[in-house]
Amino acid sequence: MDLIPTIRRRPEPAEGIGVLGAEVPAPMRFVLNWGRKYSLWVFNFGLACCAIEFIASSMSRHDFIRLGVIPFAHGPRQADLMVVSGTVTDKMAPAVRRLYEQMPEPKYVISFGACSNCGGPYWDSYCVTKGVDQIIPVDVYVPGCPPRPEALLHGILRLQDKIGRESLGDRYRPAPVRPALPDAALQQALVRPPGSR
Amino acid sequence: MTPEQVGAAFVDRFGVEAVLEPAYGQVTVEVPAASWVAAATFARDELGARFFDWLSAYDLLAEGFAVVLHLYAIDRRFHVLLRTRVPVEAPRLPSLLPVFRGAGWHERETFEMFGITFDGHPNLVPLLLPEGFEGHPLRKTFVLASRVAKAWPGAKEPGEGAEGAPGRRRMGPLGVPDPAEWGPESSR
Repeated sequence: MDLIPTIRRRPEPAEGIGVLGAEVPAPMRFVLNWGRKYSLWVFNFGLACCAIEFIASSMSRHDFIRLGVIPFAHGPRQADLMVVSGTVTDKMAPAVRRLYEQMPEPKYVISFGACSNCGGPYWDSYCVTKGVDQIIPVDVYVPGCPPRPEALLHGILRLQDKIGRESLGDRYRPAPVRPALPDAALQQALVRPPGSR
Repeated sequence: MTPEQVGAAFVDRFGVEAVLEPAYGQVTVEVPAASWVAAATFARDELGARFFDWLSAYDLLAEGFAVVLHLYAIDRRFHVLLRTRVPVEAPRLPSLLPVFRGAGWHERETFEMFGITFDGHPNLVPLLLPEGFEGHPLRKTFVLASRVAKAWPGAKEPGEGAEGAPGRRRMGPLGVPDPAEWGPESSR
């Protein structure tokens, strides 16, 4: 599929964070991460029935605001967390990608439900993207079809654990460049294209 | 008007061209493709079924495609179900756009899903499929290639693990031709 050519796992090295941000001592990092993990403005990408469960988690019974997750950000530019809940189609995939790109760093993605995890019941469809992680990097996957609101709360707690542990210096350090594989290694154990001998 | 009276009105107007098929309390009126626009105009102007509900198609494999049109008369509360056949070699049909403006999107969708060309449609381009999509996915000959790339990942029976029951015969994916006839193995 030529819609989204490459996945850029990390943004440009240390873009926007200075030496202090990258090299803060551990106690300060704990405080900074603690501040960030309880102020997650969430941008809901509600594409199908899972969005209803997301809305249920934001309402008074489950109430993820008590975890510091603030729903209904005014747009992707004000959000820290994107929850992709529902079936991503190939037609919709460029929009998901574009809105993800508009979010400011550091940003996190929760893939909510079987469809956005892997295609779910539409695993053989001609138009469904087989998992939103094909177009954007995902931090936490919440399984279920649809998952209950408690599952989303659990996923948010796992994400907060992850934010609490992370170091921005590591997050924005450029990934090591891997040497390109030779063509023979890429074609190993694969079927030949039609018409070739 | 009862469904029988609607069918009788079409037989009065189109004679032997209109074939009635009663089923489940509805009467489907089948007309030849040449009378397609005339039948829709007749239903709108003479019978008063002015509400265009939907237009779609289904695949009959060697017998071509059946295009179905559903109309409704809001004031007198009766349905009109019109159908026609187009051959699989040359699936063409005159557009209903001069009769019902709302048919435009339905014809575009039928065009991209079944590959039926609607003559006279001013903007017959894909509506729902992503750019660069090849093939017509609602044709029965359209192969769901994802099934070849990845088998159904879950259990097939309740209580069965994802690895399958012991001793189950390995089956090819449903709706996909034999690897000897279709796919990369076929041209070896």
